Amino acid sequence: MKKILNNPADYVDEMLDGFVAAHPEFYAQPERRVIARPEGATSGKVGIVTGGGSGHLPVFTGYVGPGFLDACAVGDVFASPSAEQMASAIRHADGGAGVLRLYGNYGGDVMNFDMAGEMVDMENDIRTTTVLLADDIVSAGKDEAEKRRGVAGMIYAFKIAGACADTRADLDEVTRVAQKAADACRSIGMALTPCIVPQAGKANFELGENEMEMGMGIHGEPGIWRDALRPADQIVDEMIDRILADHPFSKGDRLSVLVNSLGATPLEELYIMYRKVKQRFDAIGAEIVMPLVGRYATSMEMTGATITTIALDEELERYLKAPAACAYWRVG
Amino acid sequence: MATLDSARLKAALQRVAEGAAAAAAELNAADGQLGDGDLGITVSKGFAAAAEADLPDDLGMAFLECSKAFQRVSSSSYGTLVATGFMAAAKSAKGSETLDASAIPALVAAARDAMMARGKGELGAKSVLDSLDACAKAIEGADPAEMGDEAVAAARQTLQDFKGRPCKLGRARMFAEKSAELDDPGQLAFLRIVEAAVS
Repeated sequence: MKKILNNPADYVDEMLDGFVAAHPEFYAQPERRVIARPEGATSGKVGIVTGGGSGHLPVFTGYVGPGFLDACAVGDVFASPSAEQMASAIRHADGGAGVLRLYGNYGGDVMNFDMAGEMVDMENDIRTTTVLLADDIVSAGKDEAEKRRGVAGMIYAFKIAGACADTRADLDEVTRVAQKAADACRSIGMALTPCIVPQAGKANFELGENEMEMGMGIHGEPGIWRDALRPADQIVDEMIDRILADHPFSKGDRLSVLVNSLGATPLEELYIMYRKVKQRFDAIGAEIVMPLVGRYATSMEMTGATITTIALDEELERYLKAPAACAYWRVG
Repeated sequence: MATLDSARLKAALQRVAEGAAAAAAELNAADGQLGDGDLGITVSKGFAAAAEADLPDDLGMAFLECSKAFQRVSSSSYGTLVATGFMAAAKSAKGSETLDASAIPALVAAARDAMMARGKGELGAKSVLDSLDACAKAIEGADPAEMGDEAVAAARQTLQDFKGRPCKLGRARMFAEKSAELDDPGQLAFLRIVEAAVS
């Protein structure tokens, strides 16, 4: 294992110490493994919390900030936070108008967040709702779309739900809009090399020197095929074809696109990919709004990329463009 | 036991913590055949924490403390399921400082339903859910004096009933053939818990 760290057991806590120290205007850690806004919850505003395993920065906790999220529970690398940490995040997000739990569809996270909701209901009378991201089109077929895992599409849902909550909409309305944003996202990934979970000390999968895997999940979950590395245009064509087969776009449609590095893939290669993405949607006649190219949802040092599309209507586009800020994404 | 209150709950938890500690090696070994071999640790650590928790007089809040204590020390899926069961009992009992023994079957049934919903598990898949279901049915309407014996008998009978049948839930389902020959570790843990609780 070749990683810059002290003790693998301290990986997450030392990361969070530095994270909060570097960006005190956006993040505070009021309790261990809970990141919240330094000014506390906003009174009268619906709170939005997320949570999940570490190893994906800026996801999850990087998206706490004005116009985005209010709090986040942080687990070990690729492991769910505890229900108590999630309950604590909910309390720190509660401004008296209820709290939306907005996170990725993973079994452990769902169990613990449901449990956390019951805790704050019993102890604090906080009303909570849930919206799960399930945007990875490879992780289950269209007929079982509710079983899909949540990946990079969640950042669009964070942005849009956050903007809706900022209008002082009530919990049901914020939940509706978050669900609408989640339902509009489609993502697909591909990988070239694995990442190493610090406490395991070894790679979570192996790929041959000149191989790639199409459709691989963000934790190295198996994809669709594994074969010799293809040219960028051919890779992007297949990714876009698969997205379009799941969610067609036609002339005049509006969408945003995220071309995201899984960690080690450089911006240069993401732009080579985006060039082809733009050509594809130009050919359809669909207009890309606010494209995002960069490192938004990663798997530590994994080499590879994901492409996410979100179909926009007037409402989603308005919330996407509303002002918001965190250390990794600023709008307006 | 005619009524349940916070002090009696604490005493029962202390008995279960002792029983779980005594059974830890057996449960680890059973789990090691099919999973990662830490079920004994999960159960003994969880009940030890619940037994040490400060329990308020309100039984709902007392069960909530059990749930949180269990969850804190064992966040594995079995730990989360047990914590879910305690949480369901907490909701049913909220606002009462004592519960008549006749109310206990409803608590067990509520725990079963919540655990089935959370674990997305079905009955008949050879898991702890089958033990809970059998137990809930066995004590329903039973004479309070007989409830403990009925519960132990039901937990024991469940293990018997599933001999030769494969596990269809959790990691053990990946060893279908092997799991058919073995006791389900979760069902075995449940038996040890009930035995200790009523001892």
